[in-house]
Amino acid sequence: MRIRAALATAVASAGILLAGWQSGAHIAETGTATTTSLNSSATSGGIAAGGTNSGGGTTATGPSSAGSGSSSGSSTGSTTAATYDGASVQTRFGTVQVQVTIQSGKITEVTALQLTDAERKSAQISSRAAPVLRSEVLQAQSANVQTIGGATVTSDAYLTSLQAALDAANF
Amino acid sequence: MTSLLTPESPVETAPATASRKRPPGVERFRPQARRRLARADLLGAVGWLSGMAAVALWLADGGASGFSSFAGTMTALGIVAGLIGMDLVLLMLLLAARIPVVDNAIGHDRALEIHKSLGKPALYLLLAHGLFLAIGYGAAEGLDPLSESISLWVNVPDMWLAFVSMALFIAVVVTSLVAVRRKFPYEFWYVVHLLTYAAVGTAIPHQFSVGGLFAEGTWQRWYWLALCIGTGVALAWFRVYQPLAASFRHQLTVSRVVRVAPDVFSIEMTGRNLERLAGSGGRFFLWRFLAPGQWWQPHPFSLSAEPVPGGLNRPGKLRITVRNLGEGSASLAHIRPGTKVAIEGPYGLFSTAARSREDVVMIGAGIGITPLRSLLETTPFDPGHAIVLLRGHDESELFLGQEIMAICQARGVTLYHLTGPRSSGDHAWLPRNAVNDGFTLSSYAPAIANADVYVCGPALWASSVIRDVQAAGVPAEQLHNERFDW
Repeated sequence: MRIRAALATAVASAGILLAGWQSGAHIAETGTATTTSLNSSATSGGIAAGGTNSGGGTTATGPSSAGSGSSSGSSTGSTTAATYDGASVQTRFGTVQVQVTIQSGKITEVTALQLTDAERKSAQISSRAAPVLRSEVLQAQSANVQTIGGATVTSDAYLTSLQAALDAANF
Repeated sequence: MTSLLTPESPVETAPATASRKRPPGVERFRPQARRRLARADLLGAVGWLSGMAAVALWLADGGASGFSSFAGTMTALGIVAGLIGMDLVLLMLLLAARIPVVDNAIGHDRALEIHKSLGKPALYLLLAHGLFLAIGYGAAEGLDPLSESISLWVNVPDMWLAFVSMALFIAVVVTSLVAVRRKFPYEFWYVVHLLTYAAVGTAIPHQFSVGGLFAEGTWQRWYWLALCIGTGVALAWFRVYQPLAASFRHQLTVSRVVRVAPDVFSIEMTGRNLERLAGSGGRFFLWRFLAPGQWWQPHPFSLSAEPVPGGLNRPGKLRITVRNLGEGSASLAHIRPGTKVAIEGPYGLFSTAARSREDVVMIGAGIGITPLRSLLETTPFDPGHAIVLLRGHDESELFLGQEIMAICQARGVTLYHLTGPRSSGDHAWLPRNAVNDGFTLSSYAPAIANADVYVCGPALWASSVIRDVQAAGVPAEQLHNERFDW
């Protein structure tokens, strides 16, 4: 290749990479924005009936009875189990939403209500990641666990939804 | 022994193409050469940019967000290596697809050279892809890379296929290394090379499932879909459909086999629609003689005469001249008249399409003389503006020498026969006598620096010629070399 062409190619390469990076950064920002709107959608979704907070994590400030309609018992009862639906988190592979069951101040069960299933393959990934995440969460008793390699998007969405549910439960 | 033939006065009845008159001072070939070089540059740029675009689209889909942690960084590096590696593999397939745009710009042998040079980088990138991802995923899950690899193999759907793909890529590249390739017959290498398609095929499922390459709503999806489908279509069209169409269109049949020298013979064929092959003298085809035990083996041979189109009652004619080189060529001597012939081609830039100057110098040795014979027949030049150098141990090795001499006389070409034992040292392509007498390349072709130089002959000999040609100040765009030993 002649020098001029090589230089032009190098400049074009740099330009393409820069453009890609720029638009990627833009997507990352809208990604955060999505998370925010997720929490507000969680609000409307019934996690925190009293919560009017349009902001981030502190969505559910109401009493624990503000848990989702499927609460199976009075929330204050220390021995009764209460379930809380997490926010439904949109990912590019589909929607993720989990339900957490809390009994005696402990997370006793995490159920995935919705998992990434945009394509058959994503569904397969979800079905691998979900059990692992569940057992990690039960062990750690929080949403603060490692994401699963090869299923980062699903893991992040799963844990985000879980955190919203735990917030709703004032856990 | 060096014999010099002074050009006869140009004969009035020169071939039609040769008499294509031009006004003095008008350069016919410079614009064509400029366009060709621009096309070559453009193709090179597109090749580079395709890899960059793969990375850029990944960034555009939010790929850079992973760089915040160690695990994320390793994963991101692994993904980038995989993206560029896959892009290179697809480029390699495109380079081997015999696409006319590529062939016209850089020639078939240069395309294959680039194809070969990409093999190892592509493999290293794919290996790095696996390694970095095993480290990255492992770090995220608290596993060492090996356990992570095993867990990926066992637990993640489609990942075992990706491991198989990796093994196939390693096999394909290793059998193509020069040192390894020499130890096995061509057919073994060829069959292993076909596994490339299996390697690409087994790599694609995990790109759908584990990787996000084809995920809905991403830019990458469209890019990779277009690239994969485009490559597949190009291969099917140019390597399968076009050869079949050409074989049916021309209906070639062997008419006779003529012995030219003890181990050299011309195979003459008749066929239809040969006017469509006009100007392909000097270019090569892959020939498949449809006889028992022969049909599966394609032979690369150049035309040794410009195709003669047929008339009302007579079929068109085509000729190749071949030497007993390998086992395949030897059995060709026994091809019977009436044998049908399937072709792929024409390919290569050893033709008028590569011209960039008004003057021509042709240098050929052994069986490499025969493509020069057909090129000399048709490529345009004015009388006195072409020089032909033929090299052989003796006169009987200057195959088709009589025909070439007749063309030289008709078109006003200076012809040199360079015979005798080879010289040692720097100018090994010349006969010893010529070197001892003080002859060099510029003794034969004083104005070579402003001429198109066509070189065709055995690889070692040709590289010796090319060194001298370059030393005489001939730039790359004027140097046209067809490798003849593969």
